[in-house]
Amino acid sequence: MNEIIGVILASIISWINFVVIDTYFGLPEAPGVKGANIVGHSIKNRGGDLSGGFFQGNILCSPDASAGTLLASMGVMVLGFQGGLIAAFMVYIGNRLCADPGYAGTIGALTTTAIIFLCSFLGFTPIMFVIGMVIAITTIQGLNHSYSSKLLGLIAKKLNRETKME
Amino acid sequence: MISNITETHILLNYLIAIILSIVVALLLKLPFVPEKPIRFSWTKSALFPTPIFSIGILAIFYSMNFQWFYDGLILAVIIAILSGLFMKYLFDYVFPKPNTGEQNE
Repeated sequence: MNEIIGVILASIISWINFVVIDTYFGLPEAPGVKGANIVGHSIKNRGGDLSGGFFQGNILCSPDASAGTLLASMGVMVLGFQGGLIAAFMVYIGNRLCADPGYAGTIGALTTTAIIFLCSFLGFTPIMFVIGMVIAITTIQGLNHSYSSKLLGLIAKKLNRETKME
Repeated sequence: MISNITETHILLNYLIAIILSIVVALLLKLPFVPEKPIRFSWTKSALFPTPIFSIGILAIFYSMNFQWFYDGLILAVIIAILSGLFMKYLFDYVFPKPNTGEQNE
């Protein structure tokens, strides 16, 4: 597969994978730690959405499905599918150290390992997913917080995971 | 990377490690799933994270090309049993629940 097309498709797959898993496991609902609360309210004050702000604060403060997706891609790149399993285990330990129950990160790492394994039959390589995930996380955290938090808030509303906090 | 044993054997060993660790955790009277809502639950259960520990540690050994007897089967069984025991008796000591922060304020 052409590398550029592969990277674009991998970033779309990674984006959907980590946003859906993180939203499903309740990242927009409540801040896990004080830092996430501060980030959420800061983004709201700058014209963003509070649910999306909590989402961004939570992925900033602990390794959730975003970090799980990235680390699992790296693990598969280095060690094959067993690297993805090691990444899931390490992400779980990281989660517990960051006061997080660990569901989103671990399951994100395992689904990414499965996705990369399935996509390898279509000609994708693990390194495409590493680059794709870096692009995906940049669109959320690196370009414009107020727009990305509004998009994340919309997805949270659709999946019934909107925050009840003010 | 893996020279001695086939991929099928490896996958079978992972499956055995997952199932056996869940069975050991259930025998030690851990709940099968955490209480609802699961996404905010801190309860350790047989389904999560016991199998994550067993397959993660097993993957570390296999990646170092250490399989031991019977194509890695014995190693899978031992790690699965130890994961269940760790989850029941040592987990709270190694990974304590975080306090809610009220004590620090």
